Amino acid sequence: MIDEKVKIEENIKINENFFLLRFTSEYISQKAKPGNFLMLRISKGNDPFLRRPFSIFYTDGKNVSIYYKVVGRGTKILSQMHSGEEIDVLGPLGNSFPEIEDKKVLLIAGGIGIVPIYFFISKFSSLNEIYLSYGASNSRELNFVSEIEGSGIKELFLYTDDGSEGKKGFVTSDIKKIIEEKEIKYTFSCGPTPMIKTLFKEVGNTETFNFVSLESRMGCGFGACNTCVVKTKKGYRKVCVDGPVFRMEDIEW
Amino acid sequence: MVNTEVDLGFLKLKNPIITASGTFGYGLEFKDLIDLNLLGGIVLKGIYNNEREGNEPPRIYESSSGILNSVGLPGIGKVKLKDVIKELSELTSTPIIVNVCGEEYSEYVEVAGFFDDDKNVDALELNISCPNVHEGGKCPAQDKEHTFRLVKEIKDKVKKPVIVKLSPNVCDISEIAQSAERAGADAISLVNTFLGIAIDVKRKGFVFKNIVAGYSGPAIKPLALKLVWEVVNTVDIPVIGIGGITSGEDVLEFIYAGAHAVQIGSINLVEPSAGKRILNELSDLMQSLKIKKLEEVRGIVNKNLYE
Repeated sequence: MIDEKVKIEENIKINENFFLLRFTSEYISQKAKPGNFLMLRISKGNDPFLRRPFSIFYTDGKNVSIYYKVVGRGTKILSQMHSGEEIDVLGPLGNSFPEIEDKKVLLIAGGIGIVPIYFFISKFSSLNEIYLSYGASNSRELNFVSEIEGSGIKELFLYTDDGSEGKKGFVTSDIKKIIEEKEIKYTFSCGPTPMIKTLFKEVGNTETFNFVSLESRMGCGFGACNTCVVKTKKGYRKVCVDGPVFRMEDIEW
Repeated sequence: MVNTEVDLGFLKLKNPIITASGTFGYGLEFKDLIDLNLLGGIVLKGIYNNEREGNEPPRIYESSSGILNSVGLPGIGKVKLKDVIKELSELTSTPIIVNVCGEEYSEYVEVAGFFDDDKNVDALELNISCPNVHEGGKCPAQDKEHTFRLVKEIKDKVKKPVIVKLSPNVCDISEIAQSAERAGADAISLVNTFLGIAIDVKRKGFVFKNIVAGYSGPAIKPLALKLVWEVVNTVDIPVIGIGGITSGEDVLEFIYAGAHAVQIGSINLVEPSAGKRILNELSDLMQSLKIKKLEEVRGIVNKNLYE
């Protein structure tokens, strides 16, 4: 983990409220694992006061990219920053998805939840047989599809709530069928809480090992403030240091 | 070169910058992010007898230049803390202060007593803002008699220096400070968080399950500064100023108001190496203002007022 000042190389609008930000940091780029996140200091002064957590989208050994959605004041300000501007970055933080090989994996991503899933695909698609179910409310929120198609995964299942791209319906609708037909051993997921809850109902009693990347309101991101906790079977655990990746079965849904 | 040392009487500090309880974990979380030896002191996260879970989330909410928290003092309990302190003291020579909590007087006394012979602990800070079983669930900090009885009971039983941390959520903070001093407190630290609430517009309800939460951060600095100044004017024991400090200039303001030292809190969460930057800023500021020792300017605003 390092706390460093980096220069924004690019901060481009993908569409509507979705942006892709890239900066250079060899340390973070080389250390980061799929599931890890960063804390970005949005303000140069005291407002907004807290840093914001962002899951890592892509690394190449030199650069680090985050793909984010504007959801509030912090991300709004971030989206207005330009290349050349400096920003404080703390990371890489948290744990990561299991580093598996020669496994049949089903990845499930809802909306911006694609971020750690995409990172996993970029690092592990050549080592495993990967299936991805990717859904969003509409086609404009279903980004990076062509990059995913070219990433070497076995099969891609797309869903939108309004049917504007892929199958009309929820990303969770065919999960059981896919697991059975493809003889899936692992599921890795990330997405909005209602999606994850539905997913847990689907996979909770299958034989698969299920890992989920959670999000939470965070203070520090490195385990000091005790605010980002999630209720697990063993009591509260910190999403920032005990997660963000958890065994799905361990969470009190 | 300026001299940033401060003497609390019972404890000498390399500089006046102490990290505040609840914002610096158990110290170890910061070991790769700041040179712990640069700090004047470290106050650990509040500790009770036993392990505690803390409040149901959400536990944090941001407001302009500040944060509301409803963490609920989760912790590892006093026995495990002793091992953590040993590990921390092997990493740094910076004074370690244990923040003592309790749900009743006997628990405070038991926790304080547990660390009384620990050579790795330099002082105790009493968090008298914990909800208590006495006086109908009020925290001791809300009542002068309540504060007196608790501090007296602890001072009668332990040898370690005791710093009493006051709550700002009272009518007359001076009388609480005086009670603590009369009961034998070695120093006063203030302020703990201000009570506030947050409302969720979409959900049409309160953000926190407990409704009321504690507000901290730069937004409270002028409020804290006023209370510190008031307390400095009423007690003779050293005062440690806390509340929204994020710069060397902020530190000097509290010293000018009469504080011996300060604690930095919320900023640690945002900028884990803040202590180092703030110390550098303080040294530079002292140099440019030709202040050789902090003692020269402690409480100077009062002197200048009457001259």
